[in-house]
Amino acid sequence: MTLRIKKNRLLLYAGLLACIIVLPFVVRDPYFIGMVNFIIIYSILCLGLNLILGYTGLLSLGHAAFYGIGAYATAILMTKHGFSFLPSLIVSGLLALFFGFLLGLPTRKVRGDYFCLLTIAFGEIFRLVTQAWISFTGGAMGIVGIPIPEVLGWKIQTEIDFYFLGLSLLGFTYGTLHLLTESKFGRAFVAIREDELAASVMGINTPMYKILTFSIGSLYAGIAGSYLAVYQTTVTPSNFRLEESCLMIIMVIVGGMGNLAATFLGVSVMAVAIEFFRPVPEYRLLIIGLIMILVLLFRPQGLLGAAAFKD
Amino acid sequence: MFIDVLIVGIMVGAIYTLVTIGYSMVYGMLKLMNFAHGDVYIFGTLLCYTLLAQAHLPPLLGILIAALAGGILASMVEFFAYRRLRAAQHRMISMITALGAAYVIQNASELKWGSQVLPFPSLFPSQLVTVLGHQISVTPIITLAIAVFFIVAFNLFLNHHKMGKAILCVSQDIPTSSLMGIPINRIISMVYFLGGMMGVVGGILYSASYNAISLGMGFRGTIVAFTAAVIGGIGSMSGTLIGGMILGISENLISVYVSSSYRDSIMFLVLIVILLIKPTGIMGKVEQDKL
Amino acid sequence: MALLETDRVWKKFGGVTAVQDIALSIEKGEILGMIGPNGSGKTSFINLLSGIYRPDKGNIRFIGEDITGLPAYLITKKGIARTFQNLRVFPNISVLDNLLIGRHCRVNNSLANVYLNPFLSRKREKEAEDYVIELLDWVHLADRRKELAKNLPYGEQRLLEICRALASEPQLLLLDEPCAGMNPVEMDTLAAFLKNLRERGTTLFIIEHNMRFIMSIAERIVVLDAGAKFREGSPVQIQNDKEVQRIYLGEEEEE
Repeated sequence: MTLRIKKNRLLLYAGLLACIIVLPFVVRDPYFIGMVNFIIIYSILCLGLNLILGYTGLLSLGHAAFYGIGAYATAILMTKHGFSFLPSLIVSGLLALFFGFLLGLPTRKVRGDYFCLLTIAFGEIFRLVTQAWISFTGGAMGIVGIPIPEVLGWKIQTEIDFYFLGLSLLGFTYGTLHLLTESKFGRAFVAIREDELAASVMGINTPMYKILTFSIGSLYAGIAGSYLAVYQTTVTPSNFRLEESCLMIIMVIVGGMGNLAATFLGVSVMAVAIEFFRPVPEYRLLIIGLIMILVLLFRPQGLLGAAAFKD
Repeated sequence: MFIDVLIVGIMVGAIYTLVTIGYSMVYGMLKLMNFAHGDVYIFGTLLCYTLLAQAHLPPLLGILIAALAGGILASMVEFFAYRRLRAAQHRMISMITALGAAYVIQNASELKWGSQVLPFPSLFPSQLVTVLGHQISVTPIITLAIAVFFIVAFNLFLNHHKMGKAILCVSQDIPTSSLMGIPINRIISMVYFLGGMMGVVGGILYSASYNAISLGMGFRGTIVAFTAAVIGGIGSMSGTLIGGMILGISENLISVYVSSSYRDSIMFLVLIVILLIKPTGIMGKVEQDKL
Repeated sequence: MALLETDRVWKKFGGVTAVQDIALSIEKGEILGMIGPNGSGKTSFINLLSGIYRPDKGNIRFIGEDITGLPAYLITKKGIARTFQNLRVFPNISVLDNLLIGRHCRVNNSLANVYLNPFLSRKREKEAEDYVIELLDWVHLADRRKELAKNLPYGEQRLLEICRALASEPQLLLLDEPCAGMNPVEMDTLAAFLKNLRERGTTLFIIEHNMRFIMSIAERIVVLDAGAKFREGSPVQIQNDKEVQRIYLGEEEEE
């Protein structure tokens, strides 16, 4: 790359960064910031899901469960055991990673379609357990009164505070996933998606990589869950239904499967669409379902997705 | 009494079989998990509720119309949402579409009927009969008989009627069937249609037995179909029967003798265990990947 | 020393015996050809060597080490790479990425690097890329490295598949019908290329139907019939062998 192009690129990134940092001070509408925070959370979730679904080609309809595991972990640690935010965040991420690892284990024996069923069952059992295990999770009422998070003296309470917290988490997520997907690991995932047998002949330990993609993808969902817990100050089972997993799936697809940066686009587009239909909540599922069908019928690669998904 | 519980369990098993046939056939033929299956037949059952309880149609007419509507809806879903994606490279694409279809139908049904539990009318007068010194309710036995009738009739259709045999051919090998002159698209529509119809009949029998119908039964119905098909072995008629029976009987036994609130969790657990141990089910063959 | 030896390997599928009692050795630096009528078990045999199938009986040794039953990815790591009969490049991925995937097991990077030392990770990836671009340069595909593999003409896709296998620096390269679908000019180019490969130290094992090709390039030929080793010898010997002609002609007679 010539020096001039490199310089231009750097300027572009710097400008983008400046805009992002300055945004909440320029647009002071808390409603708008709230929506941006919504986009941030779902971006973190969907980046992880894109790794699993878009890059590796594994359909997981249980992603919301890892979101929930992270959320409940932080909620319980902070309310019942007096943990502060950062340790809770770390535990949430690691716990979600662990369960992601567990869910990845059966991929060796259980074939694609059946595995999808397994992820649904996993998600449903998580939801049922959180509803039934009242003493631990607060049942259908969930956990309330999650305290204000504090990071190195910085109290995070306003929408703008959460904006910057979310941005840091998002930065971490995107940065690490970008490195991952541009490395041999990302390529191995793609190889598995395209032709698993050929991938194994290339020296890729396919069962291990499938477990890896689940573990890593779920880690970020756990992080998002931890953020949700302190952002919403309450956590209930209704945050983590199958619908949520489906919403995440459609966000990944609309943006573009197999393209990390496209995830932002997909999340934003769907967030705007949802806002549009907010006055008619009784049509929510219908609209999500229609979008799913139409996108897959006519543009399965989404807006910017990998060539592999074109008709 | 145990004999009651057993009879009801068998009845539920037969109903589950009816409901699962459509789903199992579709998967066996097209390797598509029709997530919309439950929502489609619940739509039919809800329609039947309106026809019987509110429009006061004679039961037979109401059931017939509802079943036809269910069948038509099922084939419409195939035509609009699935057909084009049959040749898709990544199979998960059709699965996601199926999920979308499920949501559309679910939401549409909710707009019309809401999500609360509605009182579905009984179809048969409740009578007690004395057999071998025990008093048993006649209703589950009649319901069981009807369900079995449909299962047997469908089986006969598959094995002896020209179209049924065509369906069996297409289930085994689409390209060859096409070369033999079998109209593939029409057969596939017919499979969805019949599966939807039988699902509705099963749903109606179930709701009539329990005098309850609600939207939530749709998703539950889809899970029942998955689980029964997985237990028994997808794509196999006898497998569907075995799976349905095992699920129905065990669920009922557990519901009565252990606890009814864990019913759904147990079903998911069974599903997970079977998927981990023998995903091809009891009657299913282990598929060898051709290289 | 034999680079690879199979010691009486068997492979059955249900009632069908695909590979029957084959004892074969491939010498270091040679070009060994395998021919045989359709269904004689050639591809099954290559699948055994590359770890896709596990032999039911017998064992396989590579550089003196027992590799029987090892999974495919480990066998590639040990130094055996292969191509496929029906061309299995990754069609929707760029030429460069295809090769980088082929180089997977030689890319000296780790998850720890990615998360904890991204600069080192970048450096290692760049090394891999440099190696692979050199490989592409050699076959004159470097200027097309960003193109999707499926957009390449057929002959070049075949070449790409071979290069992808070479990216893992194998000692032994297994080729399953590399000429299928090629015209005579492409075949000659391929033959020259493969001979060049051998000069640089790669041992070749080639399954082929095309007699002209295999006779021109192989130094030794093994003939398979109904899963068993039927004959072994030099190209001239095999060409003149009446029995070999019969098993091929016998195939034609049945039509």
